[in-house]
Amino acid sequence: MKIHSILVVDDDENDQFICEYTIRKFDPSIRVIKAFDGTEALDVLRRETPDAIILDINMPVMNGFEFLDRYAEEFEVHAPVVAMLTSSHLGKDRERAMQYAFVKSYFEKPLQADHLRVMAELLE
Amino acid sequence: MAGLWCLAVGLAMMALWLAKPAELAAGHPAVFGMKFNAALAFSVMGVALLLAAREFHRLPALMLALVFLYGAAALSQHLFGIDTGIDTALNVPFVDIGTSVPGRIAPNTALCFMLTSLALGLRALQRRNGLVPVGLGFATFVIAAVALLGYVIALDFAHDWIRFTRMSLQSASCFFILAIAIIFSGKEPAGYHRAVLAGALGALSYLLLLAMTYFELARYESSFGITFSSGGTNARSTLSSLVLISAALYGGLMVHLYLSSRRSRAMAADLAAHRIRLAAIIANAVDGIITIDERGVVLSVNPASERIFGYGAEEMVGRNVKMLMPEPYRSEHDRYIANYQRGGEAKVIGIGREVEGRRKDGSTFPLDLAVAKLELGDTVLYSGTVRDISERKASEQALLDANAELEEFAYRTSHDLRSPIASSLGLLGISRDMLAEGDLPALGQTLQRMEGNFRRLDHLIQNIITITRNRLMEEDTQPIDLRALVAESIDALSHLDEFKRIRIENHVPAELTIESKPSKFQVIVGNMLSNAVKYHDPKEAEPAIDVRAVRHAGRVRLSVEDNGLGVPPASRHLLFKMFKRLHPNRSFGSGLGLYILRKSAESLGGTALYEAKDKGSRFIIELPDGDHNENPLDPGRR
Repeated sequence: MKIHSILVVDDDENDQFICEYTIRKFDPSIRVIKAFDGTEALDVLRRETPDAIILDINMPVMNGFEFLDRYAEEFEVHAPVVAMLTSSHLGKDRERAMQYAFVKSYFEKPLQADHLRVMAELLE
Repeated sequence: MAGLWCLAVGLAMMALWLAKPAELAAGHPAVFGMKFNAALAFSVMGVALLLAAREFHRLPALMLALVFLYGAAALSQHLFGIDTGIDTALNVPFVDIGTSVPGRIAPNTALCFMLTSLALGLRALQRRNGLVPVGLGFATFVIAAVALLGYVIALDFAHDWIRFTRMSLQSASCFFILAIAIIFSGKEPAGYHRAVLAGALGALSYLLLLAMTYFELARYESSFGITFSSGGTNARSTLSSLVLISAALYGGLMVHLYLSSRRSRAMAADLAAHRIRLAAIIANAVDGIITIDERGVVLSVNPASERIFGYGAEEMVGRNVKMLMPEPYRSEHDRYIANYQRGGEAKVIGIGREVEGRRKDGSTFPLDLAVAKLELGDTVLYSGTVRDISERKASEQALLDANAELEEFAYRTSHDLRSPIASSLGLLGISRDMLAEGDLPALGQTLQRMEGNFRRLDHLIQNIITITRNRLMEEDTQPIDLRALVAESIDALSHLDEFKRIRIENHVPAELTIESKPSKFQVIVGNMLSNAVKYHDPKEAEPAIDVRAVRHAGRVRLSVEDNGLGVPPASRHLLFKMFKRLHPNRSFGSGLGLYILRKSAESLGGTALYEAKDKGSRFIIELPDGDHNENPLDPGRR
């Protein structure tokens, strides 16, 4: 199935730029929604459910895990593919993230076309 | 005592000999059994003994030597049948009683003179009671005691060693007393037990008397042809046999008494030594040792317990041990003991565990407690060993904290170091695309992003270096001019874009100095100021920063106040923590700034504080003025 919309949750403006650029390059028809921390992301999700979420872990105010807790608790319908995108692999983080049923992938920055391909396959 | 007796007897006898009371001699010839020479010798010995007791040594020894010589001469007359003429040299006896030659003393008397004078002489010279004098006294005692007993039971053989020459009753009494004095007097204990010695003396005298009696009987039997036996011709008299058997029994008993007394003495000494050793171990133990009875009443405590709990021994003994416990253990202890005694599960007894103790001043502290149950016959005691483990616990906690912080640091740096690099790698790929497409304006923007990434990385690394340097750097304290230092730090910020818009005022009094470490102090001030500048409110018409400092109660309080963005209440608990960025959209901070501030303040023995204002923030550090103790776990950090 084709991805129509992706929510990118990342506090780093450069990473947002890279994600947007990479997604455009991969499939210009995908709508990119931006959120700079967990709180903003929850606000977006209350309005709509995108096909996929790309989530950073280390963010101020509300980090990736706090967001996941809230998202699991407060939402009945989850985005079909939630992919973690983080700057470093640390075993514990990965394990912790993969405990959420809706978290499907764990990628290392920077975001690449291959990552998007994996996500598209997961959607099917 | 013995000296006085000898002197008295000797002088009395000399007086009698000199007075020559013929009627008395006729009526009571036994009175004159003691010869004039002997009386003189006893007088001399008495005087010598009294002198020796008054710490004279040479003179008594000389006098005793004379007595010894007299004794030797008198004895040699008997042994070799010669006459040296000393018997009548001083006094010609007017009566003659119990003597072979007028004025001659008996051989046993002469021998005793030799023995006692030698013993007393040796003692006077050596100034202590050696084994030789005691042995000599021993022999004298036996001879004198046998003679005395001989008088009591009318056995002549006991005092008459050879015919017609006997040791007089007076002499025997004098020797007896002298011998006792030699054996039993003496200031320091000799290596023997007095009671045992007395027993042995008695036994030996008794045996000797028995032997003599037996010989007497045998002599009578042979000389008069009488047999006391009623039975067969060959048999020894039953009486003699009985006497011999009783002697053997008595001897055996004596030996047994001696052995068992020696054993019990050894055991007592052993026990005493053991008790002393045990008491010393308990008294000097580093751990507190407390014994309680079944109800929990304290029976004994050692000095270490007093040190640990702050109570004197008298304040603890007799009271319930729960006084040393904080709540809730205090209230539960009785129930716990009762439960254990009903056969419940032991929670401390025989196991040992970490509990909490309560000192006299009410403070509580972690305590390692091991309790042993002591069953002593009918009574049951509990002995508890306590060790104050506050320091160990504190060290453990400090290590755990340090380790956790280090782990957090490693985790966060690995993330934050890689983050700009990952981002730059992504941007690099994009730049290549853009270059290929010839989209130069976009490429320029992307390169700018990359530059930002590298600046961020550089900033982070600088901060890490600051932390490491702060931790490792050894720096001496010196007086710091606070106002000048703040002025310098303000100047150092002048390159920042926002700087010109903000009014920064240095209210620090010119005369205020602080004893501290300059580099660390500079890090603190620089940090506080740059934070205030970075997080000013761009919408504020007149952004302002005020720096103040006061000295109060030996501490210096430095505050930096702004009317900037402030810290949202929800995020305040994250202040001063590692890698916490509270204003994400405002600044690309490393998240280490306030962490560095706190660490630096702590390393100077101070604290960092935050106070919220209606508008903006007030960051405060309080530092001690002058030197203080260094944290032993983390040198350089105070």
